[in-house]
Amino acid sequence: MYQSHDRAAQDFVRTIQRRTFLSQAGVGLGSLALSTLLGRGATPLRAAVEPARGIPGLPHFAAKAKRVIFLCMAGGPSHLETFDFKQKLIDLHDQPMPESFTKGQPIAQLQGQVLKAHRPMVGFKQHGQNGQWMSDLMPWHHKMADDICIVKSMVTEQINHDPAHTFMNAGTAISGRPSMGAWINYGLGAETDNLPGFVVLTSIGGRNNDQPIASRQWSSGFLPSRFQGVEFNSTGEPVHYVRSPAGVPQQLQQATVSAIQELDRLRNPMGTEPEVDTRIAAFETAFRMQTSVPDLMDISGEPEHVLKLYGATPGDGSFASNCLLARRLAQRGVRFIHLYHRGWDHHGNLARDIERCAHYTDQASYALIADLKQQGMLEDTLVIWGGEFGRTPMVQGKGEQPGRDHHIKGFSMWMAGGGIQPGISYGNTDELGYHSVENPVHVRDMHATMLHQLGIDHKRFSYRYQGLDMKLTGVEEAKVVRGILS
Amino acid sequence: MQLIALPARFVSTSGMGKSIIYSGLLVTILLGLNSVSAAAPAKVDFNRDIRPILSNRCFACHGPDSASREADLRLDREEDARRVLTAAKPEGTEPKSGDKHSGEIELLRRVLSKDPDERMPPPELSKDLTAAEIDLLRHWIDEGAVWSLPWSYVPPVKVAAPEVKDPAWSKNTIDRFIAARLEKEGLKPSPAADKVTLIRRLSIDLTGLPPKPAEVDAFVADNSDDAYEKLVDRLLASPHYGERIAMYWLDLVRYADTVGYHGDQEHRIFPYRDYVINALNRNLPFDQFTKEQLAGDLLPDPTLEQKLATGYNRVLQTTHEGGLQEKEYLAIYGADRVRNLSAVWMGGTLGCAQCHDHKFDPYTAKDFYSIQAFFADIDEAQHLKRGADRSPTLRAPELELPTEEQSKNIAQITQRYEDLVAQAEAEKKAAEKAAADAQPPKKDQPDAVAVTADGSDTTKSEAATPATPAPSESVGADGAPLIGQPATEAATPAVASPENGVAKLPFKLSKEERLQRAVKGGKGKYKGKTGEQIQQTRTELLAALESMDRCMITIAIAPRTIRILPRGDWMNDSGEVVEPAIPAFLGKLETGGKRPTRLDLANWLTDSKNGAGGLTAHVMANRFWYLMMGSGLSSSLDDFGGQGQPPVHPELLDALAIEFVGSGWDIKHLLKTIVMSETYRQSSAATPELRQRDPNNQLYARQSRFRYPAETVRDTTLAISGLLNLDVGGASAKPYQPAGYYRHLNFPVREYQMHKDDRQWRRGVYVHWQRQYLHPMLKAFDAPSREECTAERPKSNTPLAALVLLNDPTFVEAARVFAARILKNGGSSAQERLDFAFRQAVSREATPEERKLLSKLLKDSKTYYHEHAEASKELLSIGLTPVAKIANPARLAAWTVVARAILSKDETLTRE
Repeated sequence: MYQSHDRAAQDFVRTIQRRTFLSQAGVGLGSLALSTLLGRGATPLRAAVEPARGIPGLPHFAAKAKRVIFLCMAGGPSHLETFDFKQKLIDLHDQPMPESFTKGQPIAQLQGQVLKAHRPMVGFKQHGQNGQWMSDLMPWHHKMADDICIVKSMVTEQINHDPAHTFMNAGTAISGRPSMGAWINYGLGAETDNLPGFVVLTSIGGRNNDQPIASRQWSSGFLPSRFQGVEFNSTGEPVHYVRSPAGVPQQLQQATVSAIQELDRLRNPMGTEPEVDTRIAAFETAFRMQTSVPDLMDISGEPEHVLKLYGATPGDGSFASNCLLARRLAQRGVRFIHLYHRGWDHHGNLARDIERCAHYTDQASYALIADLKQQGMLEDTLVIWGGEFGRTPMVQGKGEQPGRDHHIKGFSMWMAGGGIQPGISYGNTDELGYHSVENPVHVRDMHATMLHQLGIDHKRFSYRYQGLDMKLTGVEEAKVVRGILS
Repeated sequence: MQLIALPARFVSTSGMGKSIIYSGLLVTILLGLNSVSAAAPAKVDFNRDIRPILSNRCFACHGPDSASREADLRLDREEDARRVLTAAKPEGTEPKSGDKHSGEIELLRRVLSKDPDERMPPPELSKDLTAAEIDLLRHWIDEGAVWSLPWSYVPPVKVAAPEVKDPAWSKNTIDRFIAARLEKEGLKPSPAADKVTLIRRLSIDLTGLPPKPAEVDAFVADNSDDAYEKLVDRLLASPHYGERIAMYWLDLVRYADTVGYHGDQEHRIFPYRDYVINALNRNLPFDQFTKEQLAGDLLPDPTLEQKLATGYNRVLQTTHEGGLQEKEYLAIYGADRVRNLSAVWMGGTLGCAQCHDHKFDPYTAKDFYSIQAFFADIDEAQHLKRGADRSPTLRAPELELPTEEQSKNIAQITQRYEDLVAQAEAEKKAAEKAAADAQPPKKDQPDAVAVTADGSDTTKSEAATPATPAPSESVGADGAPLIGQPATEAATPAVASPENGVAKLPFKLSKEERLQRAVKGGKGKYKGKTGEQIQQTRTELLAALESMDRCMITIAIAPRTIRILPRGDWMNDSGEVVEPAIPAFLGKLETGGKRPTRLDLANWLTDSKNGAGGLTAHVMANRFWYLMMGSGLSSSLDDFGGQGQPPVHPELLDALAIEFVGSGWDIKHLLKTIVMSETYRQSSAATPELRQRDPNNQLYARQSRFRYPAETVRDTTLAISGLLNLDVGGASAKPYQPAGYYRHLNFPVREYQMHKDDRQWRRGVYVHWQRQYLHPMLKAFDAPSREECTAERPKSNTPLAALVLLNDPTFVEAARVFAARILKNGGSSAQERLDFAFRQAVSREATPEERKLLSKLLKDSKTYYHEHAEASKELLSIGLTPVAKIANPARLAAWTVVARAILSKDETLTRE
């Protein structure tokens, strides 16, 4: 009984293939292959048609910025030793913090301890035409005082590293939500067919005991997984499994890929299964990535003066190299480039360790801005610098190597390019650098502003998940910070 | 299939005001088969047609959330909504079916208004109704504005399977529901798939493993009438069935081997995973499965398995970050538990009510915290204080699970250690005596083991003697023995009291910790040869203790106070204190005045008569259907609330839920019922018409075709090659992984140590699940991080996944081992060998075109490797499998290339 049954089943499959061929004649694989590439080639089982570039209707209005480079100073840089100068902290040095500031406030490691104010541990001067306050730690930053907008009134809601990063990236500490890079990749897509729209780079150099970074930070959460950040490594394999196995030369790898594609085509002669075509295209891109990604990640071909500008040595995995890579990725159409530099968590020995962090990041941050400017890309590239929170005006630790604890009620970040007004400071903390009192900018406001510069109205940018129209900016109030737009 | 009748109580609707009036109508609607096609103007179904409109357009401001409610109007409850549905009628009159009065109804008037101040939803919200939606509203009102509870809260109603014109096709009740609907749509079911496809499909669906060629041959040759059923029974009885279903269950309960937050340290939980696999293999009824996981510790005389089951309550994400605020994390964990419980068992999004009442479903914030209160007796405080900067973390209460050999070994080392210490003491005393004879007397030091609250030792000399280990008498945090005999007082090291200046511990240490602390005291204490021996034995003992398997479990302690946190703010203590309670709109637990427990909750979830069992059965039946058919009867596998997608086949889902409950929550029975249907056996090849008519396969006029889940991709590749290790259970396996992948982790800094024995080739379900750095292979094939409940994985098809198939050493090694097998067992000609390889991989012989194609690849590869001996050596050395000593490495390398192509083929990794 099954034999005849089986013949019927096979006939059925053949019939379908023939009929489909007739109805689809003329549609070549070439067009499919081109439109179904990394980041966009991941057709979910049930999606009928994939958006070619982001989602329809976006951008909502003319965009000022086409892409974002986010320089995450992980660990929580002290605003009080970088951009937020407080004379009053000098006056109040070693005195108890007035309770009016700290009562009922969340405290991390200083829980249950006597809270004393501590003066800035480095000198401050004013720089640039508008006299922006900056500490002596970052001399290269002084040179770009007129290019950046320092936001001194940032506020976040999470006081421990892991949830604070999650909050900075996803606007909530609840796990399973998309990171801003994934949101933007989903909304706008990439400007490239050969690279992911959201790339993450982490750098070597810092203290020896840096805070961990979780891949949750570049997760796509409930968005389709193809929008997640892809980590590129500036040392070792640039992308996992991007090199052919040992003993397999390029031409054999190519022949193998072609054979896989041909075998798949033979099983799907008339293109009845769109998933198979997607797969054939995915193998195509994978093979191309095997050469294009290592080429992209190899900065040794950059002119000497550029390497010197950044302070980058090819293959060193440094923040400097990653800043240069960020520019290369931006040039190739990647939408969101997220750099992490760990080591800014200075509970003790702040003066020594923050200088190290500054040393690793100062020049390269400047170089990135200068380079983008020179390439004519700064105007449509939004660069954001900052950590997951700031640090307390209160001292942590005793003796000669004091530090500062985590602080969320007021801290500094800077933004540049992408339609942000250069050379200004925005907002302020109180006289002790504790609370954000003038023009507070919540993380959600930063997200709303970033989306706005990309031509997206944060209120109308949502994704249906578990019955809710989820947004990067969530349900609480979020506002575009008009005061920093040029 | 026998649909078992349930007592009447099961099918009655729960009383909710006027909805009772309409329950008769509701049953009528469920009986009617509504068409999705636009052609026939069908009767409007409130849940299918109207609720989504109200929910999407109106509930945000006129819904359950009291905080955001406008104009004191809510449209989610019938009694309130009637205000705007009857406005034009005299007070108190009900709209009657057939009344053509839609134009006078306030709801419609406001929707249609041209005045921007009157129009609803307000134009600035950009939530305008579409013309089709307005039309539906109008029809609905004209038909009498029939209301009903959200479909998922209506208990399953038994409906007789419909009559069909062509009864021959239907094998069981499922088929009649499917066929009746297809007839209505003018569609025909697809023909049955061929036998080879069927055995491949069944093997993957029920065991996650491809069939062996001999199994395929036997099934194809078996012409008996019950050949198919015998196959189904064999697969359901396989020990690998439990592994396959566990893959799904572990996604739901977010099982992982690491804590997830901050340092993402390992925690000890794999015995819980094995419990799940065993329970599924034993076909533990789902209601019991539920009770054991939520409350195994509260069952009378819990068995070892039931204790391990409570690992469920401990497998959530936790943190060991320094400077954490205990209260904050207690709130985070509490919320996590509520989200998972409601997602897994209720298909609910109760998590949305953490800060405010639910926007779309009748869950209140109070419900959220009341559910949380069930879990208030889980001891969280211990790990928040300890286990930092250590991997695996210390996570008492843990169950110690030494093997017999380990127990013996530990006892033996301990004995040796004690003897040595005694000897050292004797030597010391002798030396002291000798010295004392020559010196004036000195005051003695007090001897005691003292442990400070922060865990640092202030151990004195005698403390160096470890307690006699009795690992099977492991002591829990509350001091109660976990298994076996109670630990004796003598086995407990002295804990210093506040009098001697050391803070009293808030909890007792686990035996493991006590031993370790006691033994640590011996470090460098004794000099000379005996001292060295003690040092060495000490190291041995610590290693032996560390090597024991352990599992986090639940032991109830006095419950913490749970308050409603206003806006979810953990720093705000002003909220009302809540007791454990089920969501208010679903009723109340009767516990005779006693505080309801986790066990009461579990009982309620699986009580189909007086509890939420109907809902649970709906949720799980839908998911088992999804596993077998590729799409759920309701496509929202994780949202059975008002915003979820109502099932296209509500009567069928009801029938499956009733069948599930009626069979005694028998999972294997439910799966068998589904796979025995003709619906399941259809071909997955889709005609273009069908693809267009029903792209998401909601009508089931065909089977679904999809790429295997991540674990199955791995298992299939290893199985075909012959490398797969089929051991069931045990510690998680660590396959090859890119170097430096954990470099961003810290506390402690970790380097991945891959397994160098046959654990390397274990099944995917056993692969070490690092939440933050999930193995890149699993990640590329859409396995979730398991931070939250995952009811449906995406099925992407990306270049990153292609790179895994091409270049991940697991896959390259499998290819070279497969190639060796092809050469050894595949006959002598290239054609025979290709056919052999195809039979292993795709259960059929190669076609002439395939042979031609691969022969060319083989030839080109041979040419290359003959000229490049070094390259063949490199390729053949990938992976731990010893390199076969063969005369012709170039040939093996060339066949490795061919094997890579066959293993990476779409067909090899696709369920058809």
